[in-house]
Amino acid sequence: MKSILVAALAALVFTINAYAAEPVRTIEMNVDGLVCAFCAQGIEKKLRKQAATDDVFVSLETKLVAVALKPDQDIADATLKSLLTEAGYTIKEIKRSETPLATFRAAAQKP
Amino acid sequence: MFKLHPAYALGAAILLVAGPLAAKPIAFQDGRTLMYEYGAGTMQELQAYYAPRYWYSVGAGYLRLDQEDHRFSRDITYTRLNYLVRRWNLSSAQANVFVSGGVGAARGSDFEGTRFAQNAAVQADYETLTFYSSLKSDWQRSSEFSHRIDTLQLGVAPYRHRYDGTATWVVAQARYYSGGLYDGVEGALLLRLFRGPVWFEAGVTTDRKVQTMIMFNF
Repeated sequence: MKSILVAALAALVFTINAYAAEPVRTIEMNVDGLVCAFCAQGIEKKLRKQAATDDVFVSLETKLVAVALKPDQDIADATLKSLLTEAGYTIKEIKRSETPLATFRAAAQKP
Repeated sequence: MFKLHPAYALGAAILLVAGPLAAKPIAFQDGRTLMYEYGAGTMQELQAYYAPRYWYSVGAGYLRLDQEDHRFSRDITYTRLNYLVRRWNLSSAQANVFVSGGVGAARGSDFEGTRFAQNAAVQADYETLTFYSSLKSDWQRSSEFSHRIDTLQLGVAPYRHRYDGTATWVVAQARYYSGGLYDGVEGALLLRLFRGPVWFEAGVTTDRKVQTMIMFNF
């Protein structure tokens, strides 16, 4: 019994460490033409359909479209450009970061 | 001598001042748009479109036109193709030019039976987070009538809306109807709100009549 508890505890610690070590992976896209929330619905719709997408954040103020990726997954730049074009917009810049979407959301809430 | 309608002159001035020139008839690839507009008793229109690509949509509509003194009315059912001629995605603005065309069937209170009808439209728009302008000319004709509805809209937003928030716009509109539908240019002041995939606007015209529109993108 004791060995089972130790093994379970070890597994728990390992899991926590594994999650802590996993960097948050975010795709940040600077998008031109992003001025109307009603018109930009297609961006979120298309990005959320991607298997690698965990969450999506759109800011009209900073012209930012950010995608939080699921672990060990990515979306190719060419696919991103195609998706945004199909939504009617133009990507100016794509970069990958470890910034969680919560950071962008908190910044957007500030007056 | 060529005479430029005042609405076009103002639209041209906006284009010159604001640069290249958005309620848009095309949402996004695989997007659907449903629109209903009640135009102060003179026009009512229901439109439904599907966009296979971001640059064109196909759909159908129903337009009811009532002459302001109730001398005649039109009921036009039509199909339409909307095509995005050009889009400018700028760093802090977006501008578009659309053209549309189609065919349909029309009935009128002042003639017997159903007539083959054609329709064509052109729309240019320019918007930022706080300024909106659009100029649209929508033409419907048959062997019995020819009506054009020219609409100029200028809007300002009292605040910069967030993607997940409610957008508020105050929009001034000038509308001209040809073919004896309405005498002069009809003005209107509208309050436009949109949030998520729902767009709603309502206001009053210079004749103190109600104008309203609701639109969904999905």
